Amino acid sequence: MREDWDDEPLLTALRESLRARQNVPAWFTEAGQSAYAWHNIDAQLAQLTYDSSRDQDLEGVIRSAGTRSEPASIHALTFSSACLSIELEVTAHSLVGQIIPPRQGTVEQQARDGETATTPIDEIGCFYIQPVPRGPFRLRCKTRDGVDVVTDWFTL
Amino acid sequence: MRDDPSVVALVTRAANGDKDAWNEIIERYGPLVWSICMRYRLKNQDIEDVGQTVWLLLVEQLGKLREPAALPGWLATTTQRECLRVLTAARKAEDAVTLDDTLPIVDAAVIEEEILAAERNAALRTALGELPLRCRQLVTMLISDPPSSYAEISATLQIPMGSIGPQRSRCLERLRRSSALARLGAGEMRVKGTGDESHA
Repeated sequence: MREDWDDEPLLTALRESLRARQNVPAWFTEAGQSAYAWHNIDAQLAQLTYDSSRDQDLEGVIRSAGTRSEPASIHALTFSSACLSIELEVTAHSLVGQIIPPRQGTVEQQARDGETATTPIDEIGCFYIQPVPRGPFRLRCKTRDGVDVVTDWFTL
Repeated sequence: MRDDPSVVALVTRAANGDKDAWNEIIERYGPLVWSICMRYRLKNQDIEDVGQTVWLLLVEQLGKLREPAALPGWLATTTQRECLRVLTAARKAEDAVTLDDTLPIVDAAVIEEEILAAERNAALRTALGELPLRCRQLVTMLISDPPSSYAEISATLQIPMGSIGPQRSRCLERLRRSSALARLGAGEMRVKGTGDESHA
């Protein structure tokens, strides 16, 4: 087998192997390396259960009594996990969120390249993220009483 | 190659928090993900989207992959699925008026060839990287584009012209015997070894 690989074909194959790597731009490789920042995130997953832009209740979840009823023009989303849900409204300039049941904590906005920004969650469970994130992101909510939840990745 | 122990070791190390192992995975298999995106003729922006999604999925799966040795196949399948996802999304966004009616179909055999090529190329780069310095310098000059002349090689590496041929043979023999290339399957070698020559 290996005897079949004579000098010239071997050199050609080596040249090709380097070219294959050179064809991959640095930004692509760097983005891949950055993804490791999200290794071992030990948080519960909150899945998208409602998205007003799809105009339907994805998993038949009936939104609990007492939640705001928005005009149709407002883009609203709900992410649910076993212990809390995260309700979001997208306005022109900000992303307004509330965690239910309400409690204090922090919310971390995570971009896929490893960038993060942290915002406080006030005593009634509300937070404001400005400006509205562009591109895919997810939110990780940590409450003072130790609940740690991360949403699916999504794009507004 | 499908049960390459070095792939299993890399996945295990990365799953245990070794960032260097993760970077090595990207280094080895980034070209595979890239080449499949090329097959689907994606724009750079979509390639960025696909790449990030694939790597994030892998990060989440590191400790859970049932067969770490099958990583190249897993990456190829995941990349294909994500390529189709962004293409479908683009069609919806543009009402499919300006786009072809059908999504591009990339033959399974083409993807299989990309996987084999990626594994072969990764093994070759590893083998080259593990050569002793002098050999690596010589081989690197021999495969440079444009190729270096023997006179240039002689001047740069300070070896007599007459020694280049024998040293080249010795270095390539070392490369053939390297553990990285020894792991490659016989079938792939034969394709590579005779295919190029018969058409030369």
